[in-house]
Amino acid sequence: MERQEILDTMNLVMTNKGREPITDETVATRDANFRSLDFSEVALRIETKLGRELTFDAAAMRNIDTVKDVLDFFEKATA
Amino acid sequence: MHTNGQNIIVSGGSRGLGLHLVSQLLKNGNKVATFARTRTPEMDALDKEYGDSFHFASVDAVDADKVNGFVAEVCDRFGGRLDSIVNNAAIGQDQLLMHTDLDTIQQIVNINIVGPTILIRAAIKRMMLQGGGNICNISSICGSRGYAGLSVYAGSKGYLDAMTRALAREVGEAGIFINCVAPGFFESEMSSVLRPEQLNTIKRRTPSGSLSNDENIFKVVDMVISGTTNMQGQVVFVDGGITS
Repeated sequence: MERQEILDTMNLVMTNKGREPITDETVATRDANFRSLDFSEVALRIETKLGRELTFDAAAMRNIDTVKDVLDFFEKATA
Repeated sequence: MHTNGQNIIVSGGSRGLGLHLVSQLLKNGNKVATFARTRTPEMDALDKEYGDSFHFASVDAVDADKVNGFVAEVCDRFGGRLDSIVNNAAIGQDQLLMHTDLDTIQQIVNINIVGPTILIRAAIKRMMLQGGGNICNISSICGSRGYAGLSVYAGSKGYLDAMTRALAREVGEAGIFINCVAPGFFESEMSSVLRPEQLNTIKRRTPSGSLSNDENIFKVVDMVISGTTNMQGQVVFVDGGITS
């Protein structure tokens, strides 16, 4: 999946919850107020778009620190 | 009455407690879907009485593709939303472990553990994207207290209790409420294997003096899935006080 499409999905989740959209990839997910459940919701929305399940270990999520890490993760997971 | 206008899935609703839950939830104005291996005449009767508000399908609870397909179909039929699920399907046991064959053990694990896990997994994906929902797992006092002859069954119910607590932590923030209702020995097909003197002993040891019945359990399930209690990750005993 294209990086921009992943970011759009992240921002859909953010704005649906009344939060500011993310514009800076280098910002930490914590500072962007992007929580672990938001990560899961993005994964489910991507699953719906792709029509297949994404399964991964929780350990992979723990290594995510920045928005860039999230984008890298989903870019790789959907390749 | 607590639930009204909800879209609800009850597993194993073709007979016993499940049938009572389905019937009462329909009576309260909810749309209810249920699945079991085989269709019973009661399913035909509910079909006739409630029309589009009721849906039954023959589904093997441990076939993940079929269960996922059932959940998707129910959401389509009922307007896209899944408000609540009740994990009721289960099989009992009345054998000491040393005399229980491996096929029986595997069957109990499949129906009582794998089945509910598959249904919950499918449901939370829906509920997560729609912004919340309610999950009620029908557990048992056997999950918390020891009773001879029920070791594998008890283990499967203890699993539901433990998974409920873990999932409350996992998905609670997404507005998904997950709890267990744990009946004591109640008047059902499962307790029908007990001898009259065993049932009398249980009644004598029960502070309320009586076994719970389907309606007692329904009233608590109805409250649990109402989404109005803020109860999260709990096991609620409906046992006349025998575990108190």
